[in-house]
Amino acid sequence: MPALRISAAVRRLLPAALALTSLFAPGASRLFAQDVATANPLPADVDQGKATFEQRCSVCHGLDGGGAMGPNIQGIPMRIGAPVVASTIKNGVTGAMPAFGGQLSDAQIQQVIAYLLTLTRKDADTVTGDAAKGKEVYDASGCASCHIIDGQGGDSGPELTKVGALRGPSYLKTTLLYPGSDLPQAHVFLETGGLLDYMFVHLVTNEGKAYDGTRVVESSFHIVIEDAKGNFHSFRKSDLKELKKEPGKSLMPSFKDKLSGAQIDDLVAYLAGLKGAQ
Amino acid sequence: MKTFRYALALGALLLASPIYFLAQNVPYERILHAANEPQSWLTYSGSYNSQQYSRLKQINTKNIGQLKVAWMYQPGKPVANLEASPIVADGVMYITEPPSTVTALDVRSGLRLWTWSPTLPEHVVSIGLYATSRGVAILGDSVFIGTADSHLVALDAKNGAVRWNVHVADNAMGYAMTGPPLALKDKIIIGSAGSEAAVRGFLDAYDPKTGKRLWRFWTTPRPGEPGAESWGPGAYESAGATTWNNGSYDPDLNLIYWGTGNPAPDFNDDERPGDNLYTCSVVALDADTGKLKWYFQFSPHEDHDWDSDEPPVLFNAAIDGKPRKLLGFANRNGFYYVLDRTNGKFIAGRPFVKETWAKGLDANGRPIPAPNQEPTLGAGTLVYPSITGGVDWTSPSYSPDTGLFYVSVHETGAYFIKGTGRIEEGPPKGIVGGGGIRALAGEQSYGAIRALVATTGERKWEFKMLAPAWVPVLSTAGGLVFSGTDEGNFFALDASTGKPLWEFTMGHSARSNPISYEIDGKQYIFVTAGNAYMAFSLP
Repeated sequence: MPALRISAAVRRLLPAALALTSLFAPGASRLFAQDVATANPLPADVDQGKATFEQRCSVCHGLDGGGAMGPNIQGIPMRIGAPVVASTIKNGVTGAMPAFGGQLSDAQIQQVIAYLLTLTRKDADTVTGDAAKGKEVYDASGCASCHIIDGQGGDSGPELTKVGALRGPSYLKTTLLYPGSDLPQAHVFLETGGLLDYMFVHLVTNEGKAYDGTRVVESSFHIVIEDAKGNFHSFRKSDLKELKKEPGKSLMPSFKDKLSGAQIDDLVAYLAGLKGAQ
Repeated sequence: MKTFRYALALGALLLASPIYFLAQNVPYERILHAANEPQSWLTYSGSYNSQQYSRLKQINTKNIGQLKVAWMYQPGKPVANLEASPIVADGVMYITEPPSTVTALDVRSGLRLWTWSPTLPEHVVSIGLYATSRGVAILGDSVFIGTADSHLVALDAKNGAVRWNVHVADNAMGYAMTGPPLALKDKIIIGSAGSEAAVRGFLDAYDPKTGKRLWRFWTTPRPGEPGAESWGPGAYESAGATTWNNGSYDPDLNLIYWGTGNPAPDFNDDERPGDNLYTCSVVALDADTGKLKWYFQFSPHEDHDWDSDEPPVLFNAAIDGKPRKLLGFANRNGFYYVLDRTNGKFIAGRPFVKETWAKGLDANGRPIPAPNQEPTLGAGTLVYPSITGGVDWTSPSYSPDTGLFYVSVHETGAYFIKGTGRIEEGPPKGIVGGGGIRALAGEQSYGAIRALVATTGERKWEFKMLAPAWVPVLSTAGGLVFSGTDEGNFFALDASTGKPLWEFTMGHSARSNPISYEIDGKQYIFVTAGNAYMAFSLP
């Protein structure tokens, strides 16, 4: 069963890992010499790229590329190189991002990259706290009993080693104040949205035994949840007399009344700075 | 002496019985009377009426709990987008492997007898579609496939040797074949995909012996032809209305029924004013000539990508006490339709999923548009159903035992974003016109198998699923309905009540017609998922 947890963590962290590794790949600085559309994009290419982006990419990366449940990718070709972006779009990231190679032509991918280059990274979503103080808040507030950073901590909540590469500061703050209010999507299909991660589930078996937990995986016939102690429970739906999904609820407590505003900001600054081993 | 010779011949036949089973001959009469040999599966949907129904009943509501995997086949190399439905005849199963490979399997063991792959160009154009194949057709001792680069190829059914190979349409311009051909008495019918590349749709008939083209029906009219007034100037030439799935055939009326796809560009309708005939329609063509007998357009002037390429289901039933020849269609636009298949007249229709784009249907079945449901720039307009429609291309099933029409539905909406791109000269670079959708989160969507009264569309029962699924449906005389979930469950429901009776986790969603066949007195249920082709049977 722990394999499920590992794969869930990995699939959330891979895009950042890929992007960061590529920064140091040989040749990454020779940005987009061979890519005609991006080297000298025509307005029509940018327009087509915008249209394709809005259709295919905005669900995860936001309509302006500023990030939603997926990372901010404004201007990303400038930072990691157009060939790496092209290859990521084409091949996807296992478990995290679909491969668009069968859906988008090379020309369309280049158009998307041309459009991404026009998006200047906005830093409206900025960090105001002190990351060093934030680490003290993290250690003092019991966060590590449910979260792993750099291999340390409990695993009933999501691993946070690279959370800063995946989530913006405002998203992190919202989650600390109102856990469960804006759950990330586990994965996104091209034409149907994906299911939410960390869905809070209350269920009662036909024998009357009740369980609360976070959904690990679900099919039309089965569901596996993880309780607050990190134990997995697997059920056939036909063995349940009640199955209630409660988005908005979470096994994680709200820190709204437990920490001051300044402490929250410090904690956000700490988490936003967690980008994983480079 | 003569008797002796007959005895020798008989002895030779008996000794050679395995070879006998591999000697393929499926004349038209066998497909015509497919109902008489439920042990076979001779055309894409099991019969010309596309009912996706099997008369076999060894596997039934009493013993379904014992169903087990009997064999599995996996291609030599992993495949993507497996949507292949098989043909089964005389001990052999013909399947396709993406993109355009044909493989023959021994139906007892699942072992491969032969395989054939075309030489595809290095770059196959597949705009708005997966380069895959939904299956082959069989006629006589040949099998026929439409390839990803738009060739129609005839193979020797016994060994896969190429008999002929004709170039049907220009793949560089976006024409690509994914749908199975339909074999008639003396014709092979095949269409093409490519609406997203702004090709002009057509349906073709070929001589099964020579590959000579016998007729072509263009799915959009030229200036001067009836229906041409439904387009802006010149728009018919790059209009879409492609024919990328299988059709149906009524031998008594000698009519072919085929669905057509969306207009192009899909999300930018600025330069195609009018109804845009014959997009998003079902057309009835004379099988001998390819001439249009009638058409019914489900979604006039469509701009939500609601192709109408699901195989039309033909059935006979009483309407107001009178026996009628009917056509049932659960359309991607969210409405279920009952038409008179002799003349295309609308009989009944109603939504089978949540829809917000039409206030209803008028007396002729034409939708009454609801306001503010067009794609818009920027964040888009929320419309139900989503781009995938109430159901997309995946076949429904009709059971003559229950009179019910079973369909795997998508209950979801999406924000539709208007495109601003125009159609340009030359080979297409990608989906023309731009625009598209933003999907709702998964928790706001679900799927279901719904049983509709075939003559009215009234819902009899539903079986809810976690997510919208892309799995066709099979119903059987054993009182069962087979289909699958998007999460990878394959399951059987009670055809009368919708109660789940059996389930198997395949590890990947199915994307092909579940079918049934029989060999050595044993019934099998067959389906594909991921890389696996699986046959199930009782122990």
